Amino acid sequence: MRALEYAFRHAWAGLWRSKVATVCAVLAIALATSVLGGLMLVSANVEQVLGRWRDGAEFSVFFRDDATSEQRGVVEGVLDQSGVVGGRAFVSKDEALVRFRREFAELASLASELPGNPFPASLEVRLLVAPDADGAGETLLRRVATLPGVSDVRYDRVWLERVGRGLETIRGIGFGLVLLLAAAAAVTVASVVRLGMQARRDEIEIMDLVGASAAYVRGPFVAEGLLQGGAGACIALVVVLVGYRTGMALWGESLTVAFDGLAPRFLSLGVCSAIVLGGMLVGSLGGAIASRR
Amino acid sequence: MIEARNLSKSYDREVYALRDMSLTVDKGEFVFLTGPSGAGKSTFLRLLLVKERASDGEISVNGHNLSTLSRSEVQEYRRGVGFIFQDFKLIPTRTVFENVAFVSEVLGVPPAQQQRRAFQVLKWVGLQHRMHAYPRELSGGEQQRIAIARALMNDPPLVIADEPTGNLDPDLSLEIMNLLREVNAGGTTVLVATHDRELIRLVGRRSVTLDHGRIVEMS
Repeated sequence: MRALEYAFRHAWAGLWRSKVATVCAVLAIALATSVLGGLMLVSANVEQVLGRWRDGAEFSVFFRDDATSEQRGVVEGVLDQSGVVGGRAFVSKDEALVRFRREFAELASLASELPGNPFPASLEVRLLVAPDADGAGETLLRRVATLPGVSDVRYDRVWLERVGRGLETIRGIGFGLVLLLAAAAAVTVASVVRLGMQARRDEIEIMDLVGASAAYVRGPFVAEGLLQGGAGACIALVVVLVGYRTGMALWGESLTVAFDGLAPRFLSLGVCSAIVLGGMLVGSLGGAIASRR
Repeated sequence: MIEARNLSKSYDREVYALRDMSLTVDKGEFVFLTGPSGAGKSTFLRLLLVKERASDGEISVNGHNLSTLSRSEVQEYRRGVGFIFQDFKLIPTRTVFENVAFVSEVLGVPPAQQQRRAFQVLKWVGLQHRMHAYPRELSGGEQQRIAIARALMNDPPLVIADEPTGNLDPDLSLEIMNLLREVNAGGTTVLVATHDRELIRLVGRRSVTLDHGRIVEMS
């Protein structure tokens, strides 16, 4: 306990002594953790809406303009007998146009300028999740696509999976970037700690000669890194929060519509704590590496 | 107390800083280690502080074989050795009192005990009235007395001094030596490396002369 108190007291004094270098190290960590925080914010919200869309997976059967009511009846019969459909709703050409005008108000004039109604009639089909899991949904989709009067079939799950894969790729690249930035931040912290060690080399030599334990010799430097990391991560969270609030003020409504009525949320307390702990870990790692010898 | 047998230290095959040195220093003894620059005095002290390890032979202090001590054993061993250097090695950003108390602080001694002992040793070297001064405000002799006070903080059974009077004039040198004699009178073994033969003559204790890493004279 006394060693801990000693480490933090001297770490604080050390940071204060080399203010400019400390600010550089804190900013390096803040940059790395801002990227991480921003990535997690976007990723968590997109993941949330994808999850919701996955749960309510639908496919849409679009009819040709010349499709007859008998052909529509055949399609409905096939769907009802499949056993994997949880519900279906017919959307006429007129209803599709009204829906477009309502959901994309700013583009409503575009639709008015077109000759006639360009939107096809469709059947929106909601699948039962369990049967779909074994591929029954896809079998049904393939069968419906071949029926007369059907122009196209769009299966949500296919593009949802594509979006999911895209998100995974972006997340992978982002985490790679975060790792690089974290390594750079650790090196910066290590350099700052080395500067501090250079300034205190007489003190360290005396500590070594009187038989002080590693907790006393290295402790202040590890604590310096930890404090720098913690401060950098806190700054990063503030930056991400300001970005989130600004984004919500400017595009909150559009984002909520795009996210299917789900307002984008800020990072959870658990994630925020993990980011701060991560920053502290990177910082103390830099301090530990620098004071290893 | 100190037992060196056929001790050698070389930095490469041809150059020996110490060669086949055998020396015994009894508990409570005051011994000078002398010789010209490069004779091996500082090397022997570095081996005693386990800053370096012997290339050959054996050196033990109070029954501890210094060649085989682990890292944690070295820490433990050093807590029983006081050291004094020619350049004092005081921390310029700390006051006299803090410089002395620092030794106990980094060994985890409770603050009240640190302060009591620091005041005691400062009083012993006669500098309790300068306890709030910084090293730069002190004379060379005062700085060395502070270094002696710091070396005594742990009440070590062995005190090692490497040219402790190298930066001081003859009067101050004698004053420092008298202080070390008093330390010795309390039962502490004292080993002083110096090239000042006049000082050795004035203090009048056993001296071991080294040259080119070998003992050439004992008196």
